[in-house]
Amino acid sequence: MATQTALHSPSTDTGGRSVVIRGQDVGKTFGGGAVVALEGASFEIPKGAFVSLVGPSGCGKSTLLRLISGLIDRTSGELTVHGKPVSGPHTDVGMMFQRATLLDWRTSLENVLLPSEITRTPTRADKDRAAELLRLVGLKDFLFAFPSQLSGGMQQRVALARLLQTGADILLLDEPFGALDEFTRERLNIELMRIVAEVGATTLFVTHNIAEAIFLADQVFVMTPRPGRIVEIVDVPFERPRPLSIQTSPEFNALVARVRDLFGGVH
Amino acid sequence: MAVQEIAGVTAPPGRGLSIGQRRALTHAAIFISLIGLWEAASRLGWLDPLFYPRPSDILVSFWLIYVQNGNVGWNLYVTLGLVLAGWVAGSVLGVGLGALVGFNPLVRRFLKPYVIVLEATPRIAVAPLLIAALGFGAPSKIAIIMLVCFFAPFINTLSGVVNVDPGRMELFRSLRASKLQVMRKLVLPDAVPVIMAGERLALTAALSGALVAEFIQRDQGIGSMILIYTRNLNMASAFACIFTLTIVGFLMFKGMELVDQRVAYWKNEAGLKRVSDRRRARAQAEGVI
Repeated sequence: MATQTALHSPSTDTGGRSVVIRGQDVGKTFGGGAVVALEGASFEIPKGAFVSLVGPSGCGKSTLLRLISGLIDRTSGELTVHGKPVSGPHTDVGMMFQRATLLDWRTSLENVLLPSEITRTPTRADKDRAAELLRLVGLKDFLFAFPSQLSGGMQQRVALARLLQTGADILLLDEPFGALDEFTRERLNIELMRIVAEVGATTLFVTHNIAEAIFLADQVFVMTPRPGRIVEIVDVPFERPRPLSIQTSPEFNALVARVRDLFGGVH
Repeated sequence: MAVQEIAGVTAPPGRGLSIGQRRALTHAAIFISLIGLWEAASRLGWLDPLFYPRPSDILVSFWLIYVQNGNVGWNLYVTLGLVLAGWVAGSVLGVGLGALVGFNPLVRRFLKPYVIVLEATPRIAVAPLLIAALGFGAPSKIAIIMLVCFFAPFINTLSGVVNVDPGRMELFRSLRASKLQVMRKLVLPDAVPVIMAGERLALTAALSGALVAEFIQRDQGIGSMILIYTRNLNMASAFACIFTLTIVGFLMFKGMELVDQRVAYWKNEAGLKRVSDRRRARAQAEGVI
């Protein structure tokens, strides 16, 4: 079925793990073809992988995320999640955005319960899980706080717990900590790695920070704009868990330099 | 966000009075001076006592209409009943129509010209027609009030429903929420504060509407009292009625503020704390934590 020749890079070796998301020549145009947001994206993402999508504005990274989530429809190519073609929003994926988009009139616990409420009347187990997830993201003392009483970083933690509450095994994170300060972002990145490893989720993480992309991921999709394309898929060899200190290692910096080179004159 | 900010002014040391006390004293002094000036101007013949009764006369009239004649009680009751009925009717109409129009882009497009026309027309101008159609009495008065006060809830509900944060909308879409769920769990709660602001305006409008309706029909109510006292050149009693309305208006406004703080609890500190405590207590009772 999968014609290997269509792949941009041979580095999509799944290492024997099953493929969760597969794209082949995926394209998206807006305005009846006037704007090419994404072109010829081919990739395979194995189960439990952490993939970073990095590139400048307009490279189609958010578009790719929205295509996978089913929030928008592709104009060409094939895109499957768990072997099924994507058409419309589906429950296999959960999304998180740069803004926490919490509901101001709900406590943290109630915000996290929202995904359960959408599918059914929340059970006792749902409530326990929501409380558990808030503990997991480090908010055990803020179960009954309202969003306006939380800092930006804490609001994103609630959003992450809400994302996990969906039970989706694929997490799509669109610059989730992009609006936070450097220190908070670094802390949350580390916790994010711990948490997704703990729940065993497959994660796609959009960022425009090269070092952050490499630090977090098993694979980095390097993307360039006009038209939006995946120019290369870079494997990240570092062992997990990764301490912050690897960011100062020569190997890490060599990888950063390599990715930066791929952007050429674009950045 | 709309969290109240209290200016952090610290009281400078002085004469053993807090800044609040000194402000209260200043207010009282200004008020008494103004009243005294009015009284003096009237007694010295600078003001025509026929049209500008003395404060002392107004005070006597308060005694008359509240105690000696006691006619203000029943009339106030009638007016407030009208205000309440008209306000509730106008709110139901306004919020209902606003939600309907807000949720339905097609209805919105075709209804918009009529809304603009309605907004440009002074709605009180229709009052005589309503009386012609519904006859004298409470129904036509309530209809007038409804017409006068429905617009603020309508336009606020409409804008509250239409201006939903796109990020939140996308969240609900990604969770595959139904239209009804989007409405109940996102759009309506989100619109509550702005709807409440509309209701506040509507209540003020309803009081004015009731007075106009009573001016026209002149049978009972505070509005009729004012009209009749004025015709009899009993300006002091008319002023007593007007000041009564000042107090009523103030109390209604304060009451509305209290309701607003409870309903839109997430917009004020006290509300956040109160509801947060309640939710915690409930969760503890359920054993979630």
